[in-house]
Amino acid sequence: MSRKKKCVAMLLAGGQGSRLSPLTATLAKPAVPFGARYRIIDFSLSNCVNSDIDTVGVCTQYQPLELNDYLGTGAPWDLDLRFGGLHVLPPYQAAGGADWFRGTANAIYQNLRFIKNYDPDYVLILSGDHIYKMNYEMMLQEHIDNKADCTIAVIDVAPEEASRFGIMNTDRQGRVIEFEEKPEHPKSTQASMGVYIFNTDKLIRYLEADEQDPESSNDFGKNIIPNMLRDDQRLFAYLYKGYWRDVGTLSSFWAANMDTLGEDPELPLNDAGWRIYYRHSFDHPQYVGEHGEVLNCNCGDGNELDGRVEDSIIFNNIIVEEGASIKDSIIMSDVVIRRGAHVEYAIIDHGTIIGENATVGGSKDSCDLTVVANDCRIGSRQTVKAGEVLTGDRI
Amino acid sequence: MNAVGLIFADNYEVEINELTETRTMAALPFGARYRVVDYLLSNITNAGIHDVGIITNSRYESLMDHVSSGIEWDLERKNGGLHFLPPFSYHGRGDRYEHILEAMQANVSFLRNCDEEYVIACSSTCVGNIDLAAMMDYHIKTDAYITVLCTRNPRNKQVGIPTTEYLMDPTGRIQNIEINRKPILQGAVVGANIYIVRRTDLLDLLENSEREMTSWRRDVLIPHLKDRKIMGYVTGETLLYLDNVVAYLQSSLDLLDPNLRDELFHQENRPIITRVGDSAPAWYGPRSNVRNSLIAAGTIIEGEVRNSVIFRGVHIKKGSVIENSVVMRNATIGEHVHLNYAILDKNVIINDKRMLSGYITHPFVVKYGAVI
Repeated sequence: MSRKKKCVAMLLAGGQGSRLSPLTATLAKPAVPFGARYRIIDFSLSNCVNSDIDTVGVCTQYQPLELNDYLGTGAPWDLDLRFGGLHVLPPYQAAGGADWFRGTANAIYQNLRFIKNYDPDYVLILSGDHIYKMNYEMMLQEHIDNKADCTIAVIDVAPEEASRFGIMNTDRQGRVIEFEEKPEHPKSTQASMGVYIFNTDKLIRYLEADEQDPESSNDFGKNIIPNMLRDDQRLFAYLYKGYWRDVGTLSSFWAANMDTLGEDPELPLNDAGWRIYYRHSFDHPQYVGEHGEVLNCNCGDGNELDGRVEDSIIFNNIIVEEGASIKDSIIMSDVVIRRGAHVEYAIIDHGTIIGENATVGGSKDSCDLTVVANDCRIGSRQTVKAGEVLTGDRI
Repeated sequence: MNAVGLIFADNYEVEINELTETRTMAALPFGARYRVVDYLLSNITNAGIHDVGIITNSRYESLMDHVSSGIEWDLERKNGGLHFLPPFSYHGRGDRYEHILEAMQANVSFLRNCDEEYVIACSSTCVGNIDLAAMMDYHIKTDAYITVLCTRNPRNKQVGIPTTEYLMDPTGRIQNIEINRKPILQGAVVGANIYIVRRTDLLDLLENSEREMTSWRRDVLIPHLKDRKIMGYVTGETLLYLDNVVAYLQSSLDLLDPNLRDELFHQENRPIITRVGDSAPAWYGPRSNVRNSLIAAGTIIEGEVRNSVIFRGVHIKKGSVIENSVVMRNATIGEHVHLNYAILDKNVIINDKRMLSGYITHPFVVKYGAVI
């Protein structure tokens, strides 16, 4: 008996995320924590599951240890299946030699055997480092209705931002007539989100041809899409109207986290219609103490909050002592903020201890974002100046 | 550890019907994100036991739903793992077990089919983070026939609910057992309904009795006090009793004590594990005011919360004040509501401007799914 899947998702999770350094010093960008209890990759994985796609290959490369641990068997996303489910696909050694993934297209090429196992009609290519809630099923339906060979999800960006993206120029039916990578003078504001649906046969054909080209950088945006356009294949843009962020830089990462706050957040996390799944912690419920003041914050589990915490994202197992104050900040898991310390407009990575009466960062209206890397010790009365990125102890 | 765990999910010894009408005792929510069975399963698996039977005889839907395959406790296994033992499992047995003896008698086939040397049997009478491995060491070291877990500090045990007092000699051997409803004297040693016994000995007791037996303690323990070594293992760990709604509220509010929370939730290598849904983080509104409270994830807190335990998915709207209360999952509390010494069961809706107040000795209980 042969079985097949309608659509298989390939999630590119090898990104180094060097602009998110030091958060990505020891882990891949998709594994970076987000939104008080999630990791960035939870959004793409949950989108798959919520879109009825139950077969996901995750291509890992850079610092995969923590990411692999986090993904495990895929059970947190209900992706521990006998036929299908989540599969971590690292680079491997084969009879022809071993190779790192040389580009996004090469990562998929090296895993064509995985795709062929499921004999899918369509392949969905995703990147594991974007924050968004998107129904891929609707995009696939449009792909089918358009009789397209490839559909590229686009988002409308501000004209002044368009030159930072790959821009799709389309005709009135949405068919892509031109693709420009980071154009100096963009002709449209439809930016590629790095989300593609291919007919499997076309994908295989173009990936195999691309491998034969020694000049190619084996990249979807730079090679595969332009090649398909040149051959007059049917490429369509699918306009996604919703929240989408690349979180490529520390400040965009901070801003996207803050988008989950407020009475009517831009990115609601408490959304019964589109749940974001994650691997649970076993921490006890959080405790707010006699002196605790927690205002407009998203908080995970296991915290002991006895200070003032305002407009912030608080992960798990964090201790905020009496008299400490936190504002406009992201506090990752296992951080301790001692009595009298003040943290403002900062990202504090996991395991760091901020000593008594220490000061980290400054007001977001007048200063730059401050970052303290994981497992740092900040001594009492020490200062981490606004805008500083601290990666070692300061005692 | 070479033992099988046995959990009695039903409440033979407690009088907490207000909260157990819709669920068996083991499924009772306790501590903002847990249920009673979480403490039992965690204690058992933390002792290195990988084979557990849960005996239950009614209202077990929510328990089965919660425990599911047992995967959170690493009990989804090829060998051993989690076994649900509902009624009518074996030929000739009815549905209602009146006591743990009958519950075990109904499931002798399960006990016969295990191959572990010992049985650790746990009731859903109280919760705590109990080192059952230490109890097993004691059982083996003292060469006991049966070991009984007991405590000198039965926290929140209520007068009028059956109490088992053990009188021991200095070596820890039990001399006498008293079952009564009287106030407990200072220093008395009170049972927690947790036992260790060799599996083959237990099967002997259950199968080869010459007379009709109706009580584990009266008909098994007491008659053997003279000829067998029945030992009391007095644990220093805190046991929170859940005898009735008063005990439930007091035990819940005891979790606000940081030392007790440390003891319960921060034991090295002995985590209390639960199975939860994929709740969003808790969101505290800009005008919220939360003091001395436990708040689970998935909550939206816009009002004031003091000295309370709030479960997952609860929404407390603006202007409301919740004090000294336990609010279980998915309750919606409207605006300008005032709750004091209340226990809200799951899925309760409190409309705007309602005021509900009990007292520490008489909590106001709102039943499952009620709308006020």
